[in-house]
Amino acid sequence: MLQTTRSAAADAILTAEDVAIRFETAEGPVTAVDNVSFRVRQGEFLSIIGPSGCGKSTLFNVIGGLLAQHAGTVRVGGETISGPHKSIGMVFQEESTFPWRNVVDNVAFPLELTGMPKAKRLERARHFIKMVGLGGFENRYPGELSGGMRQRVSLARTLASEPKILLMDEPFAALDEQTRLLLGDKVLQIQQHLKQTTLLITHNITEAVQMSDRILVMTYRPGKVKRIIDIDLPRPRTSDIVGSEEFGRYVAQIWNDLREEASRGLRDEEEHVLHHERGGASS
Amino acid sequence: MAQTGQLTKASERAPAVSPVTLLRIAIVLGVLAIWEFLAHSGWLYRDVVPSLVAIGRALGVLLSNPDYWFNLGVTLYEIACALAIGGISGVVVGLILGGNRFLARAFEAYLYYLGPTPKIIFFPVMIMWFGVGSGSKIALGTLSCFFPVALSVAAGMRQVDRVLVRVGKSFRANTLQMIWKIYLPAMRHPIVNGIRLGLGVALIGTLLAETKLSNKGIGFLIINAYSTFDMPRMYANLIVLFVLAIGANALVGRLGGLNTLKG
Amino acid sequence: MSRFGPVATGLLCLLLFFAGMQALIDSGLISRYIVPPPSEILQSFGRVVMEENIGRRFLVTLSECLTAGVMITVFGVAGGVLLYRYKLLQQAVETWVAALAAAPVVLAYPLFMVIFGRNSWTIIMIGFVAALPPVILKTLEGLLGTRKVLINVGRSFNLSASQQFWKIMFPAALPSIFVGIRLGLIFALINVVGVEFLINFGGLGQLIEDLAERYDLPGTYAAICFVILVSVLFFMAVEKLERWLRPVN
Repeated sequence: MLQTTRSAAADAILTAEDVAIRFETAEGPVTAVDNVSFRVRQGEFLSIIGPSGCGKSTLFNVIGGLLAQHAGTVRVGGETISGPHKSIGMVFQEESTFPWRNVVDNVAFPLELTGMPKAKRLERARHFIKMVGLGGFENRYPGELSGGMRQRVSLARTLASEPKILLMDEPFAALDEQTRLLLGDKVLQIQQHLKQTTLLITHNITEAVQMSDRILVMTYRPGKVKRIIDIDLPRPRTSDIVGSEEFGRYVAQIWNDLREEASRGLRDEEEHVLHHERGGASS
Repeated sequence: MAQTGQLTKASERAPAVSPVTLLRIAIVLGVLAIWEFLAHSGWLYRDVVPSLVAIGRALGVLLSNPDYWFNLGVTLYEIACALAIGGISGVVVGLILGGNRFLARAFEAYLYYLGPTPKIIFFPVMIMWFGVGSGSKIALGTLSCFFPVALSVAAGMRQVDRVLVRVGKSFRANTLQMIWKIYLPAMRHPIVNGIRLGLGVALIGTLLAETKLSNKGIGFLIINAYSTFDMPRMYANLIVLFVLAIGANALVGRLGGLNTLKG
Repeated sequence: MSRFGPVATGLLCLLLFFAGMQALIDSGLISRYIVPPPSEILQSFGRVVMEENIGRRFLVTLSECLTAGVMITVFGVAGGVLLYRYKLLQQAVETWVAALAAAPVVLAYPLFMVIFGRNSWTIIMIGFVAALPPVILKTLEGLLGTRKVLINVGRSFNLSASQQFWKIMFPAALPSIFVGIRLGLIFALINVVGVEFLINFGGLGQLIEDLAERYDLPGTYAAICFVILVSVLFFMAVEKLERWLRPVN
């Protein structure tokens, strides 16, 4: 049954309250995100989906503590965030493996920072490397791996720091659809095994419905919460579910919401180009 | 079946020495032959092109002379000092300029435009400031070496992939960890290239200073051979010098891991 | 951040530095016999320009540079084309050319003096040899780097080998060639001025040596500043020329 409900306040491990982000640009102040509030429950998989330009990557940076200038508060386990929080682990959209380190040294990086002794951190790293399915590749360098494999290394590296909340920004955006579906399976497996609280930023509807317990749909800039949807598909899930009728209905519903936001975005872009071409006659 | 056997045999008979190597050997031999011909032809003034035998003998005399090794030591010492002082200050300044946009816009242009000027013209000033001994040579070498290192490091720092910096921050690395574990490894190519370039110009600066005014060092030996018109000795000195210079350049490149898989 | 702010700060720091030096020297903390005060150096600028025939010297240095420049363009581009045309030769010789680029050619100036004498030819030849490798290598790089699709366009029009080269490969390689010539010109200038100083012959480089031998300290500093100025302007001019010649990219 398709229901849209507001999130339960229950055991929220991360709360965002009235988060707003404004930038000064050449054309004046721009509100990227406007009063977004939501809660993330322990162990749940929450996706934030929206069209390009809805501010979701900016939101990612705020939650991750990499962007300090914002209104509103983000709290993790009661503590207000004022910089990268030790309970949050980030996985970035771009290629982020260190090309000069091999796989096991990449994955052990966060453990190295905390001063964990070498033997222990290599062992811990190997455990997570196996978890993402790259066992046997420990001594390879990122340059020898495919894009999908490198993203798995980045994922293993973040998991190795054992964060309470996994925060991912479109980690599979650069991959082809088939690889993405299979990696999505992998991430689901891991999340279900670790009961890892996960916050995924994405523009891909299929990905969001495949993986999430709840989906937060954002409007185009200024980004607000348009709707929060409970995904009642059974768990444990795999990518097989992509073909089911229920899946299709969720996707259709979300696309309905997104289509009008995405159209606004498109029109905005076109106007922006026209405005510049005319030499900015009006202001 | 018999035919495939024949094909295999043919490929097994492929030349062990590649045509490239053969061509190289041919070129070298050709040059040496022309040289020897010119040496004996009497066309050029006396010893301008000495015979290969004379050069070989001079090389032998040179390398077995402890005096030579002393002078080589002096030169190497001067170059090492120049590279150390110029290199370290270059890296520090490069890191500062690379890390701070305001400072870069204010000062980097000066480095950029001063870089490709011949530093040897500063030598009279260096002599005034540091005397006629090794000090002025080291000073000139340092001055030469500072610019390419600073510019390479500054440019390298700006080219560091921004996402790698964010990874470090997301794992709450402190400043020292950021520099040591992220910035410097990410910059190893520009740094190594900067050092290679710096070594090259430090070498030139130091040696030219020695040829101009010195009583020690390889540069002095070269200009001394010129003033006594001992051509075989000059050629011997130059040969050893060039072999060392090119070798050092290649060594730095290799040590810096420029050709490895690590990218 | 405005563009003006940092640039102004840089200039201001430079002026403060000179003012500081003037103060230190005037007060005697730094001996004026080792570092002349900036005011004296400025004054000797005028004197140096008038008395030392700056115009003629400048032309001498420039002509030496340009001669070397023409030679490296002709032989460098021809060399690069030759290496491109004969792959075996390229494989054999390319690393040697790169090694020559890394070699301190100018250190062999005594040898050049023996061969050519203590005159302009030594200066030009050293400039030539030192500046040649980048032109050859960049020409080769440009030709090798022509996008395959452009070559295929030529083949689809049935161009002859010579047409293919002159109408497609060479124009496509021009940007890289210009970069090589720019690098070569800069190397040429550095070596030309340097050797002029070392062998005490020629134009601007010799001026410094002359003044230094006469113990005209402020004059020497002024001459060094002047040579730096010329070098910087030359560098800028060469950059502008290169950008003008290849507007795209």
